[in-house]
Amino acid sequence: MSPHTTRLALSSTALLAAGALTLAGCSGSESDRASGGETTELTISTFNDFGYTDELLQQYTDETGITIVQNKAATSNDARANFFQKLGNTGLADIEAVEIDWAPEMMEYADLLAPVPSELADRWVDWKNAPVTNADGQLVGYGTDIGPQAVCYRADLFEEAGLPTDPEEVAGLFTTWDDFFDTADEYVEATGQPFIDSVNSVTQGLMNQQDSIYEDDDNTVIATENPAVREVFDTVVERAIPVAKYAAQWSDDWYASLANGEYPVMLCPPWLRGNIEGEGPDVTGWNIANVFPGGGSNWGGSYLVIPANGENVEAAQDFAEWLTSPEVQLQAFENAGTFPSQVDTYEDEALTSATDEFFSDAPVGQIGADRAEAVEVEPHKGPLYFQIHDAFNNAIQRVFDGTEPADEAWDTWVSEVDAL
Amino acid sequence: MATAVKGAARTAPPLPGPERPRRIRVLSFSQRLSRWDVKVSPYLYISPFFLIFAIVGAFPLVYTAVISFMDWDQIRQSGEFIGVDQYAWILTQPAFWVALRNTFSIFLLSSIPQLILALFLAAVLDRNLRAKTFWRMGVLLPYVVAPVAVGLIFNALFADNSGQVNAWLGMIGIGPIPWHVEPFWSHVAIATMVNYRWIGYNSLILLAAMQAIPRDYYEAATVDGAGAFRQFWSITLPSLKPTLIFVIITSTIGGLQIFEEPRMFDQFGEGGSANQWLTITLYLYNLGWGDWNFGRAAAMAWLLFLIILVIGLVNLFVTQSLVGDDGGRGPKLTRAQRRALRREARARRAGRKELRR
Amino acid sequence: MTDLLKPDQAGGEATVAIVTPKDRHGRARRIRGIRPPWWIYGILVAVVLGSLFPLYFSFLIGSGDSSTLRDPNRSWIPLGNFFENAATVVNDPNVNFWRALWNSVWTSTVIAVAVVIFSTLAGWAFSKLRFPGSKPLLAFVVATMAVPQQLGVVPLYVMFAEFGWTGKAGAIVVPMLASAFGVFWMTQYLRQAVPDELIEAARMDGASMIRTFWTVGMTAARPAAAMLFLFTFVQAWNNFFWPFIVLDRQDPTLPVSLSLLQSNHFVDYSLVLAGVVLATLPLLALFVFAGKQLVSGIMAGAVKG
Repeated sequence: MSPHTTRLALSSTALLAAGALTLAGCSGSESDRASGGETTELTISTFNDFGYTDELLQQYTDETGITIVQNKAATSNDARANFFQKLGNTGLADIEAVEIDWAPEMMEYADLLAPVPSELADRWVDWKNAPVTNADGQLVGYGTDIGPQAVCYRADLFEEAGLPTDPEEVAGLFTTWDDFFDTADEYVEATGQPFIDSVNSVTQGLMNQQDSIYEDDDNTVIATENPAVREVFDTVVERAIPVAKYAAQWSDDWYASLANGEYPVMLCPPWLRGNIEGEGPDVTGWNIANVFPGGGSNWGGSYLVIPANGENVEAAQDFAEWLTSPEVQLQAFENAGTFPSQVDTYEDEALTSATDEFFSDAPVGQIGADRAEAVEVEPHKGPLYFQIHDAFNNAIQRVFDGTEPADEAWDTWVSEVDAL
Repeated sequence: MATAVKGAARTAPPLPGPERPRRIRVLSFSQRLSRWDVKVSPYLYISPFFLIFAIVGAFPLVYTAVISFMDWDQIRQSGEFIGVDQYAWILTQPAFWVALRNTFSIFLLSSIPQLILALFLAAVLDRNLRAKTFWRMGVLLPYVVAPVAVGLIFNALFADNSGQVNAWLGMIGIGPIPWHVEPFWSHVAIATMVNYRWIGYNSLILLAAMQAIPRDYYEAATVDGAGAFRQFWSITLPSLKPTLIFVIITSTIGGLQIFEEPRMFDQFGEGGSANQWLTITLYLYNLGWGDWNFGRAAAMAWLLFLIILVIGLVNLFVTQSLVGDDGGRGPKLTRAQRRALRREARARRAGRKELRR
Repeated sequence: MTDLLKPDQAGGEATVAIVTPKDRHGRARRIRGIRPPWWIYGILVAVVLGSLFPLYFSFLIGSGDSSTLRDPNRSWIPLGNFFENAATVVNDPNVNFWRALWNSVWTSTVIAVAVVIFSTLAGWAFSKLRFPGSKPLLAFVVATMAVPQQLGVVPLYVMFAEFGWTGKAGAIVVPMLASAFGVFWMTQYLRQAVPDELIEAARMDGASMIRTFWTVGMTAARPAAAMLFLFTFVQAWNNFFWPFIVLDRQDPTLPVSLSLLQSNHFVDYSLVLAGVVLATLPLLALFVFAGKQLVSGIMAGAVKG
């Protein structure tokens, strides 16, 4: 560089460095506390879309005078990485959103979270609270939304295959898993097309209906000996794999197939409907049957937790209580479609009258409420749940791909679980 | 001042004569400063890097080394010492060995074509082109576009059912390739992604180095009748030797640490249901951020370090012997040029002495 | 015969002058006058078209709407919504675009400039100066590259939390300043590009170490420094994970804030890719600057006989 350019570069660096230091000094988390310990600001971290719009949060500010700052992470995975990096340390918000998938891992550190006042526990459906209740029976998470599953179906494809198309009749076809698979076999035979999009949706539907799966209540691993687990594996391999197009969802191929409208049936929690509509807006004929094989099953859902070492724990607890109250959760539902987990909402007109135009005006609110109440069990999930379940899905994928025959895939899975 | 007389034996003692005033060897301040300057400057020059490294690089290194011997709970920042158990665990995992195989496979499939193509591309760009900047910078685009876009494109290309590549292959009659099922094909696809991203980058590194080769070497060679390839082999490559070593070492290190591309290859980021495309770094990441077992992840990192060290040294060796030597002291000046330099320097010194006296 | 080293007017110190090479008869000689054949351009067109594709694809999808990405009948001609989508991205309240852009610009610039300076200094020392310990130290520097970065985030955050540096924009700058890659690159480049005789000549003329570095080293390093600047800037610019972990959500860098376009179960990729195009444009400006520094024969004039 010529001397002139070099000097320019150096002086600009010096300037920028000075600017950096100043900004570094000025920016950074502001203290939430005014003098006297009064909270003036609360931070909440969410991911995806919880439906907490600025207007909704403004209501709380109007009521209490506390400003709310919402931090967002794009995906649940990002939020998870951030959460576990900072738990027990500094850097978490006053309230953190946690997804049910990683709530079991979090429960190992339940002592680092502020408790939820026990009188609130009735607010939620009972199976919602189980995953975030610690060993002493203390609740540590405020439930937000859930994913009560129903059966979404394509009326037009059903008609072509000679199956009923009216939602109530269709519901009759899927009350048990056997019925479900029988109908599936019929369809595949009649049309030669896959019945359902993915094996995984069946796996998790079945798995979440078992009383106990991978770990028992004191977190000893029983996965490989549990006959229920083996039964799920066998059912999936023998009956679900032949009728499904893909083993797992969210792949590029899967998205393309949604755009092409290839499936007559998908097991759908409320949040999946957004994908079905978004990826395949030109596909017509979708409807929802108010049924789920085996009664009910939940897929997904989140909680709000409060790190115990935060500066504004009490104020945060008040705020979380407000956010997860039936009234506010209903507003969130209207904003983002996140289905409420609060029992009182199921009587509310706003929920029961909600419909989805894309799905032939199906009464999604009512269906959701019915399916939520139909869930009977939520199996215990310990800290190793994620890893064991992951390996389980991989085993099924291997069978699907033909990489390993079923028994070998199972044995590989057993050895992986033992190594954990 | 005694000047060496041409031809005089240097061992002959000075002729005794009238006592010449002996010059007292006192180093002036500026001379002492100069000597100190020479001694200390190198350390001063490297200190900014090492200072920063001491702050942000050393601690993570030590930390990971220490926790690799422990059963470490990252959240509670505590753990118990278990010796080499973590290392032993890793070495007994089939997944580790599969990952090792995958890493090497992808490494070879990517580094070798990359190097050859980057050299070729750099040689093409080294010429006197019109609109040089456009062509030269154009090749860097794959490197700068955000991974999310590149990931989308390659996933669309290599999808098993709906992917473009299978569609094109179908047009020429080749059956669809199961990119996400077969280990080898997954390696090919990932190596393609890696090459696509890094060829332009490496070619620019080589190009920058080629700019420093004196042009008259080539002109002399052209006069002598050497063709383009001969010139490349005998002039460019030897002159590029330090840079080639650089590119090979960094490609080795980078290639054995490939992480982003395997992670983006499917929606789970875990290297495939049967670990078909699991690389060591991806395995490490899953141990650390998936299972939250940072002690294990740290042990894996240090194992990887050892592997890279070994392979790196091998590569260095191979490069040193393959590429011709240019002496490593920079471009050689011809004798005439050196003589001219010396003459000028002497003249200037003489001139200055005149001024001083 | 051209003057190799011209005495500085100010008195006696050597500067290296870049002079036009002249042949025996005093005519200016063109360095590489021959233009390459047409098929070279053919190769280049193919290569650049291939390289341009991701950017074009992003622009293509970014000009559509939420269904364009998965539309099986998508055309190759952009639809024309680009500015609309770009405006949506820029105005999205979650994205905080201008602040993120500013943060990315100044942090990347500081990092790139600092890395170039530190690396050239260290590279100069390792390549051209002899001092005890240089070989082991250089080997150490190279070896640090072999430890994968993914793990470093964890202890780094712990350390920064201890110091109270989290949430401050400076926290992303400092870790990226120690670039072993940069040091190694400049070492190898200077080793190859600077003839030792030039340094000796400058030293013989009484130049101090720093002066020698300034006049010989910095001049010779120009193409390499430009490339290092560019690469470091791009790396800092596209870095996601560390800024995500260490910064306040209210004060993000561009990749972190643009990632929020991917929240929600159903992702509208027309917005995401419009964001990608917006994030790539500043880098293109840098391309032009760096490309011009790739000048052949910076030292060639100096060694012309």
